Amino acid sequence: MTDVLIVGAGPAGLSAGIACAQHGLQVKIVDEFPRPGGRLLGQLHEEPDGTWWNGMEEAKRLLEQAEKLGVDIDCGVSVYDAAKTKEGWSVSSSHGNFEVPKLLLATGAAEMALPLPGWTLPGVMSIGGAQVMTNVHRVRVGERGIVVGVNILSVAIARELQLSGIHVDRMVLPAQNPVTRDAGNPEKVFQSMLRVAHLAPSTFMKLGSKLLKSKTMQKLALQFLPGIGGIRMWGIPIQLKAAALEIIGDKQVEGVKIVKINAKGAPIPGTEKVIPADFVCIAGGLYPLVELAAVAGCPFAYLPELGGHVPLHNERMQTPVEGLYVAGNITGIEGAKVAAAQGTVAGLSIADEFGKLPEKNLLSTAIETVEVVRQNATIQFHPCIAQGRATVKNMSAQHKSDA
Amino acid sequence: MESDPIIVCRCEEVTLQELHETAKSYQCSSRELKLRTRAGMGYCGGRTCRNLIDMIVNEVTGKSPGHSIPLGYQPPVRPVTFGLLGGHK
Ligand SMILES: Cc1cc2nc3c(=O)[nH]c(=O)nc-3n(C[C@H](O)[C@H](O)[C@H](O)COP(=O)(O)OP(=O)(O)OC[C@H]3O[C@@H](n4cnc5c(N)ncnc54)[C@H](O)[C@@H]3O)c2cc1C
Repeated sequence: MTDVLIVGAGPAGLSAGIACAQHGLQVKIVDEFPRPGGRLLGQLHEEPDGTWWNGMEEAKRLLEQAEKLGVDIDCGVSVYDAAKTKEGWSVSSSHGNFEVPKLLLATGAAEMALPLPGWTLPGVMSIGGAQVMTNVHRVRVGERGIVVGVNILSVAIARELQLSGIHVDRMVLPAQNPVTRDAGNPEKVFQSMLRVAHLAPSTFMKLGSKLLKSKTMQKLALQFLPGIGGIRMWGIPIQLKAAALEIIGDKQVEGVKIVKINAKGAPIPGTEKVIPADFVCIAGGLYPLVELAAVAGCPFAYLPELGGHVPLHNERMQTPVEGLYVAGNITGIEGAKVAAAQGTVAGLSIADEFGKLPEKNLLSTAIETVEVVRQNATIQFHPCIAQGRATVKNMSAQHKSDA
Repeated sequence: MESDPIIVCRCEEVTLQELHETAKSYQCSSRELKLRTRAGMGYCGGRTCRNLIDMIVNEVTGKSPGHSIPLGYQPPVRPVTFGLLGGHK
């Protein structure tokens, strides 16, 4: 008999499975991808201390630990519904139904699009798609690419493409329209880039880190940024003052028409030109993949700093819905280490619910660990994450007292 | 040269212009915009365009999404065969 079903075998789901199994629970994890590991499988980046974060290795480590503890992991299984029953949950999947007392959703995040003319041409892909093809499937995505959308994720993945010997010609912003907005605003993008400065210290050292601490100085720096040359990270030109107007091609991508833009993102007429490319990655950021929490009847909070709508949950990763837990990016967009730490909390919390956690301090320590890991995170997706987390906690407490 | 239209919902081929104009003339919610244009009603279940639809509504009406999800999710949240949904083999 399965005590807990976990949807998602990423760092959150695997860590939760390990914590549950360590406390004597029967755990089943399902994932629709052919291999366990979730987004870890594609990750490779250098930490500021010079060590490398190798997601593939991390996934292997978690998987071995889970398997040793007898966690049952099934891949290639898509969950399409979760309904509350008297005893727990009835979960429907491509490979049959599961009846379980407790359900943990660790489904991660999905990518946001940046629509522009030509984005439906073959050869256009999301930045995450390029990452999976390159690092997981080892398929060459093209010879010469342009990345549209400059954010922490696209910069990290452009570097990964480069490490795999794929030429990334440049990174540009999307032209501003009602569905690209801040992603097409050089000032906003520049501010967010300063938060990833530590990933390529030499680039930002040149700009003078002290200089960039004040808002006015940032504005000035942007004025003086060489328009079309832009800054470079690992030699990849990041053109904050150029925008992609259109992806060009007959049957597939042949190039991108770009234009110079001013500091507010307005195009400068007469500066258009076509840059040849055989693939284009679009990067609009991430949002929590909450579909199963929604069909399970969980209430939500809308918090842009966490990536959008997130299921209400307390510090123990319990939602207001009996027997339903969440962990990882479904609760807000953060890095893999935070997701894993949250998974451990969820696992211990479920064990406690079954009365199988005699050492209560394990849970409180795990909750504190999430905070510590968050504070030390190299990859921070939003500057106000801590604020968003506090809001969810309060809303969850409020929800409970209202009920 | 007139550039190509910007497609927002790829599954149902709904353009930004159509969504923008519809949102403007009806000053409507994301849900109404979806029902009027079919944006978000395709194969992917709105996975690609649901946020974009919310952004268009926000841009046109000034209303940002509330805590409840504007475009609800209905099972099945993945494409499934009729057989799986209870057919006989
Ligand atoms: C493209 C991309 C690149 C990223 N790069 C980095 C990076 O370099 N560094 C970093 O720290 N963070 C990165 N992140 C953030 C990343 O989300 C976290 O690092 C971490 O992987 C989140 O862990 P998780 O366990 O919550 O979700 P995930 O690792 O995303 O795992 C979720 C799993 O759930 C499965 N799933 C979802 N829905 C269903 C369903 N209905 N049925 C069955 N299975 C389902 C998915 O197949 C997936 O394997 C990236 C995210 C994305 C999307």
